[in-house]
Amino acid sequence: MTSVSPAVKEWARRQYWPAYLYLLPGAAFYILFVLRPLFTTAWISLFDWDGLTLGSWAGLDNYTALLSDPVLRSSLLHSLVFIVFYALVPVAVGLILTGLMVRIRIRGLAVFRSLLFIPQVLSTVVIAVSWRWIYDTDGPVNGLLRAVGLDGVARSWLGDYGTALPSVGLIGSWIMYGLCMVLFLTGAMRIPRELFEAARLDGAGPVREFFTVILPALRGEISIALVLTVTQALRNFDIVWNTTTGGPGNSTTVPSVFIYQGAFVTRQVGSAAAVGIALTVLTLVVCAVIMRVLRERKG
Amino acid sequence: MKRPDRGAGNCARNHEAPAACHETGRGTPNPARNKRTTAAVAALGLAVTLAACSVPGAGGGTSDEQLAGGRITKPVSPDKVKKLGKTDLRIIADSGEQGFLKKFVPLYEKKYPNVDVKVETKAFADFSKTIVNTMSGDNPPDLVQGNQGYGVDGLLVQSGLLRPIDDVAHAYGWDLDLPSGATSQLRWSSDGRIFGSGNLYGISQSNEYVGVFSNKKKLKKLGIEEPKTWADFTEALKKAEKNGEQPIMLGNSDQYPAEQLLGTIQAQKQSVSASRAWVNGVPGTTFATEANRESAETLRDWAKKGYLGSGYNGVSSDDAVTKFTGGKGVFLVAGAWNAPAIGKQLKDDALFTIPEKPDGTVAAAGSFGLPWHISAKTEKTDAAIAWLGMMQGEEGAQAMADAGRLPVRTKGVTMPDKLAERQAAAGKRLLDDDGQTYYFDWASNSMMTTIGSATQDLLTGRLGTDAYLGKVQKDWKGFRADQEKAAEKKSGADK
Repeated sequence: MTSVSPAVKEWARRQYWPAYLYLLPGAAFYILFVLRPLFTTAWISLFDWDGLTLGSWAGLDNYTALLSDPVLRSSLLHSLVFIVFYALVPVAVGLILTGLMVRIRIRGLAVFRSLLFIPQVLSTVVIAVSWRWIYDTDGPVNGLLRAVGLDGVARSWLGDYGTALPSVGLIGSWIMYGLCMVLFLTGAMRIPRELFEAARLDGAGPVREFFTVILPALRGEISIALVLTVTQALRNFDIVWNTTTGGPGNSTTVPSVFIYQGAFVTRQVGSAAAVGIALTVLTLVVCAVIMRVLRERKG
Repeated sequence: MKRPDRGAGNCARNHEAPAACHETGRGTPNPARNKRTTAAVAALGLAVTLAACSVPGAGGGTSDEQLAGGRITKPVSPDKVKKLGKTDLRIIADSGEQGFLKKFVPLYEKKYPNVDVKVETKAFADFSKTIVNTMSGDNPPDLVQGNQGYGVDGLLVQSGLLRPIDDVAHAYGWDLDLPSGATSQLRWSSDGRIFGSGNLYGISQSNEYVGVFSNKKKLKKLGIEEPKTWADFTEALKKAEKNGEQPIMLGNSDQYPAEQLLGTIQAQKQSVSASRAWVNGVPGTTFATEANRESAETLRDWAKKGYLGSGYNGVSSDDAVTKFTGGKGVFLVAGAWNAPAIGKQLKDDALFTIPEKPDGTVAAAGSFGLPWHISAKTEKTDAAIAWLGMMQGEEGAQAMADAGRLPVRTKGVTMPDKLAERQAAAGKRLLDDDGQTYYFDWASNSMMTTIGSATQDLLTGRLGTDAYLGKVQKDWKGFRADQEKAAEKKSGADK
């Protein structure tokens, strides 16, 4: 122990060691159930493995194959589209609704809030089945279109190459906007009344008030909402799988579909693990960017 | 998440003076320290996980292991099973078997009173994904269901987890009951790399195949007879279309129903042995045969003419069944296993048939239901063999029929209703003609997705016929190459 540098010694001296004891239970769980699987996955991604018989070392082959797979690349594009529907649209809708609801006092706000939050609580399979019916050729959307004479527009929304991706995306918007709105409303409640009054005294209209008072105050909530919804968009699987199975053709496949298929159907566990790790890294990077851009600035 | 000035003090955000901060507030989070803690935790995590690092997977079992429980030469008698003493027989099955097991287990326990059957069932998706891992564990069940093809059965054989049952088939005379061609779906080379020949590894009492459902009342209204031959069928489609009806109800959002529709057309045009050879992966076979080209063109043609309605790629197979029983579509080309849902709505009006080929035989996309396997590690071989023997006999067949499913053996079995009788008759004929062509998606582990999405593209004209055939064949080729590479590596390792 002679080679311990003074900086380390200095660091060790400054520590309040018993504090780490309190960390221990949480850290143990985290290591066992988050880090360990993560590292195991990363390790497996370096192998060519069917999930059962002895695997063989593949090095980074799984990752290079991943980069050159055109279907996987297009699925990544779909994920980007889903970010629009799962994150941007719900945040925008949530903000607009919040802007409206701050101005008008609504009776039974708690009830509305819970109602709008319901999509978040429902099982995604239930949601998928319901929306499959809504989008059905004989479903309500088409019924409505036909009722107003727009027969030409009526179609199988989930079966049409052009509309399948946005149709699935809209389901995501519907699931997520309630969460965003509840987050934003709670945040907006904490804005001191005086700020609104001051803005109004200065002659700010509703739009001006929204941009100068509400939006800056919600920076933290928007960051959280974006992190949650973007994560959801990138790891989206259940809604896609239960509405279109990635079809028609490959028009709605997302990376998670490949993870599922690789791990459980085609038994290319190594390459599935590689997709999983790549997706994890991508998600972390995107979330880091969001949090960095929207971080609180000092007074 | 942190909002400024929430009474936490400035310490948390004071990056410049961590030491000073330490003096004033121990409880407040310090970013600098947080980073170090994270690093420490990460290092610890790395240490823990690296310790567990090794090449994933277990070594494959050897193929010439002794037959578990020894070779049998005659059916296992209750007395022989009794020698096991009071024991239990552990089974893992697909949840679709629950109805059958409810009827069959009591019969088995009555005949073999010293055996207590312990059943565990799982939904198909979970089941087919975990069964391989369960079987390779320390304490595998004695009897288990698999799934034909490389994805489950192939892997189980590769890993040496199944007991070959050729001796059982011989002793019980299954060779007599079943066409030898059909049992090839349960045969594997002992290294599990060649599908369709070699040892027999499983057996099934259930018969599953794709046929044509129709509604008696609706046919009468349109003046159409139930089609007997393929020519009748195509004629009926034309007539239905002319009368403003949608000829075929198709729901293809799950991607497999159109594949099965193609299989139905293809069974008319390609010889059964040629279809099977390709599915089994016989070298030199191709998907781009003349018959397959014609079949794909026919399917595309039907879609173009509107025979399949519109929006089929957005309708699930279950929804298609509901629409069909609700009166939409004249025919439904679908698995016989949809009968309970259809019979419930249409009752005796539900018709079912497999149209005859021009040569007077029948062939259809179809196979046995999920096969049953004996674990290579079981210590209760006699009880397990007794199970298979009884299941394949009349009692098992009747239990299958009573559970609303189609038994392979129909002799001496009473079917529960008219629709089931029609299906049993069609199924028997299909077996007698040895006409099960299997399913395209057995050909490789990724074929379900490949052919599923490619067929969607074919239907809508996004893929031309040649491109379609080529895409499917490319998947097949890639998988064959992988199999051969793996087999070579294994034989190299064994030497």
